[in-house]
Amino acid sequence: MKTCIVLALVCAASALVSDQPTQSMPRFENIAGASGIHDVFPNGGVTSKKYILETTGSGIAFIDYDNDGLLDLFVLSGDGGTNRMYHNEGHDRFRDVTDQLGLRSSGWAQGVCAGDYDNDGYTDIFVTYWGRNRLYRNIAGTRFEDVTKAAHLSEDRTRYNTGCAFVDVDLDGHADLFVANYLRFDPATNPLPAANPYCYYRGIPVSCGPRGLPFDRNLLYRNNGDGTFTDISESSGVAEPFGHYSLGVLTGDFNGDGLPDIYVACDQTPSLLYLNKGHGKFEETAVLSGVAFDDNGKAMSGMGVAAGDYNHTGLLSIFRTNFSDEYETFYRNRGDGNFDEVTLTVGLGQNTRYVGWGAGFFDFDNDGWKDLLLVNGHAFPEVDSLGIDIHYKDRAILYQNLGGDRFKDITLRAGPGLLEPHSSRGAAFGDIENDGSMEIAINNQNETPSLLKNTNPVAGHWLALKLIGTRSNRSALGARVRVTVAGRTELDEVRSGGSYLSQNDLRLHFGLGPSRFADRIEIAWPSGTRQVLTHQTGDTTLTVREP
Amino acid sequence: MTVAAQNASRPPGRFLLPSAGRRPYAVHRRQTSLLWSAALLLFASNLIAGSLEDGIVAFNEGRYSTALLLLRRAVDEGRGRPAHIFLALTEAATNDCKSALPSLLPEARNATDQLSLLAGLAAARCQSADGDATSALATLDALKQHFAKNADVLYLSAEIEMTAFNNTTLAMFKDVPSSYRTHQLSAEILEVQGRFADAVSEYRKAIVLNPRAPDLHYRMGRAILLGSHSPEALSQAAGAFTAELQINPEDSGCYFQLAQVAEVQGHGGEAIAQYEKALQLSPAFVNAMIGLAKIYLQQNETARALPLLEKAATLQPDNEAAHYALLKAYRNSGNMEQAKEQKAILDRLEKPPDSEFSDFLKKLGDKTPQQ
Repeated sequence: MKTCIVLALVCAASALVSDQPTQSMPRFENIAGASGIHDVFPNGGVTSKKYILETTGSGIAFIDYDNDGLLDLFVLSGDGGTNRMYHNEGHDRFRDVTDQLGLRSSGWAQGVCAGDYDNDGYTDIFVTYWGRNRLYRNIAGTRFEDVTKAAHLSEDRTRYNTGCAFVDVDLDGHADLFVANYLRFDPATNPLPAANPYCYYRGIPVSCGPRGLPFDRNLLYRNNGDGTFTDISESSGVAEPFGHYSLGVLTGDFNGDGLPDIYVACDQTPSLLYLNKGHGKFEETAVLSGVAFDDNGKAMSGMGVAAGDYNHTGLLSIFRTNFSDEYETFYRNRGDGNFDEVTLTVGLGQNTRYVGWGAGFFDFDNDGWKDLLLVNGHAFPEVDSLGIDIHYKDRAILYQNLGGDRFKDITLRAGPGLLEPHSSRGAAFGDIENDGSMEIAINNQNETPSLLKNTNPVAGHWLALKLIGTRSNRSALGARVRVTVAGRTELDEVRSGGSYLSQNDLRLHFGLGPSRFADRIEIAWPSGTRQVLTHQTGDTTLTVREP
Repeated sequence: MTVAAQNASRPPGRFLLPSAGRRPYAVHRRQTSLLWSAALLLFASNLIAGSLEDGIVAFNEGRYSTALLLLRRAVDEGRGRPAHIFLALTEAATNDCKSALPSLLPEARNATDQLSLLAGLAAARCQSADGDATSALATLDALKQHFAKNADVLYLSAEIEMTAFNNTTLAMFKDVPSSYRTHQLSAEILEVQGRFADAVSEYRKAIVLNPRAPDLHYRMGRAILLGSHSPEALSQAAGAFTAELQINPEDSGCYFQLAQVAEVQGHGGEAIAQYEKALQLSPAFVNAMIGLAKIYLQQNETARALPLLEKAATLQPDNEAAHYALLKAYRNSGNMEQAKEQKAILDRLEKPPDSEFSDFLKKLGDKTPQQ
């Protein structure tokens, strides 16, 4: 009987995607175990959770910390474990170098973001905590030093810090730092499951919140350029919005004015869009800009965020993951900093039984159209006792971009790795082998991470770009790149943070389709410098230094 | 499997709240101890040591036989209204509603103070225990004239209505188990419980028994959509709404649902046509206006969206979706001042999401009294 059901699903799925060319179908497999990643990362209760802190999980990062050209993997842990760095040994093998690098840790790590804050050529790491955040300075790729206090980033109280991003808000060539805060949480005073109506889910007692728990404010630190930061949350306007449960952070120049803006996915409250007004000032405009709510004007449970030029308009649209019984939200950029919510129109409204977390645009088949993947898993393990089709551990979802108009859910045909049930949280995207095929690292609650690799040949050609800022910040955060191939142009932007509390490959990846060349590459550096490269050969990683 | 069958195989939940055999007032007495304390304080200044005061104390402590003796003496001593009411309350607590009601009911009809509120609650309990839910609810309606937001009044109203619902439901499962109506009711109950696949199954059984019954196809389509937005579910739901239109050709709700399905399927043109049909049939169908306008907005046809949204916001001034869409329409047309006005309205209307609390309330009925 079970076989019949499975067959029926597969047949139905086959019918759904029959108009897609077979050769472009990916086959994602989880190669984490085979790659040497065996550690379990604890994150609260397995079968029940007493506090909301156990539900929000942790991020994951692809970072080339030693500049050997291969992406390493940094995985965050909840209480009872340690964050771990895995060095990429090549050929899909990773080695745990946590202790060697001085990264052993304890506590409730939440988010991670990367950037070369001191412009020394090595990518540094910032880790957010329920507790106190940590800035790890990368010492020439040989070890990390906790410089939180020296950098003036120590916090005066326990905070529930979540998403983060290095972002050069004032374009002075030094990466500043944005940190989202979820809420004020104190286990000593936090109500317990069943304590009030906000401590139930579908009639069963679960951990309380976020509704009913006190709000906190987001943080912005200005990089002083001397290894220290100054808290400018108040003066910049970042701390002004109150009444938001902030989680995922996404930076990008959403209104095309050359200044980096910040979008924050908020849980059960309106999401935030901080438009950069210049001179270190921000104005929160999410409602008027059309990215605070769903299309009915209702706040949703925003978790993860991703941005992509999915339709080759040269504009960054925003995708946000939400809770079960909601659909994800997709905001199409109108070009003036305003957005239309077009989730249903582009085919992303069909999956409503998942709680989505990490997400990213990436071109799995290198056809030149960015596809979309999100990872899922319910907040409450107790949901499994209901016997409904919403599960604590669930599969990922892969949407194929059908030429910029529509997305199609191809998960059931895209390999066993996507179908593994996990309670996933952070997800990072990057090319660990430099072969043009993107991998996805996923932080699963109380399990080993997943490392999804497409084992099918990829038909399209590709080009990766590693940008090195000179007058701009060294990581080139905020640099905008337009790649033109056969008359179509795709935009992307170098970004710290993103997804759900995670860090993607800082290099930009473009699918070129059948073309072996990129006809034109236009780079708008944060410093204002414009650079144009022509007729660049594909299927390689191109390192570009700011002129 | 019907809900009745499930109830037969496991302990009852929502649909069995035993009331027969319970003393009409005793349980409630404990729940309202604060009220009693208030009542005692209220009358303390007027009390003369003796049968009335001791009777009230005995009643409050649950020593009903003593309370009866003392309060009857107080009535005989001419101790007035408090003596009569507390005697009636004690009689109600000892299942002697026949003796209690003549004193309790007049108080309930003109309840303005705490003592008459207690009398009214006891009267309603007596009537409910006697199987007369109609009279009990009428008594509670009278109490609501002055105590509309009283938790005890609201609680008792909910309990009595739930008991009536349970009794009728059980009668259906017992007396007409194979009726299409029984399957329909099972389906609706399962919908409330969020068991949409089971609900759809029950609707199908009902449709087999009475394929021409109005609303069954519509409700089934809606349950399918509540369960899933997968392509298969969308097609099945569309089929159900189309089938409903064979029976109810002028059901604007079906056209609205078909429009929504078409929208999710990415068929904008078809969605527009279905919304327009819904509006032809029901010109004041606000959700259809908003749905149609939102498609126009996505297509950058702001001029076509604006009149629809302005009308929707006029018809339903508290409709957040209408104001939010109107905000975007003004914004897209460059009218930022009016967009900001809509934002101000939205800020005023915006309330915290109520899903958890709604679910909580819905699920309260699942709990047995022992829980």
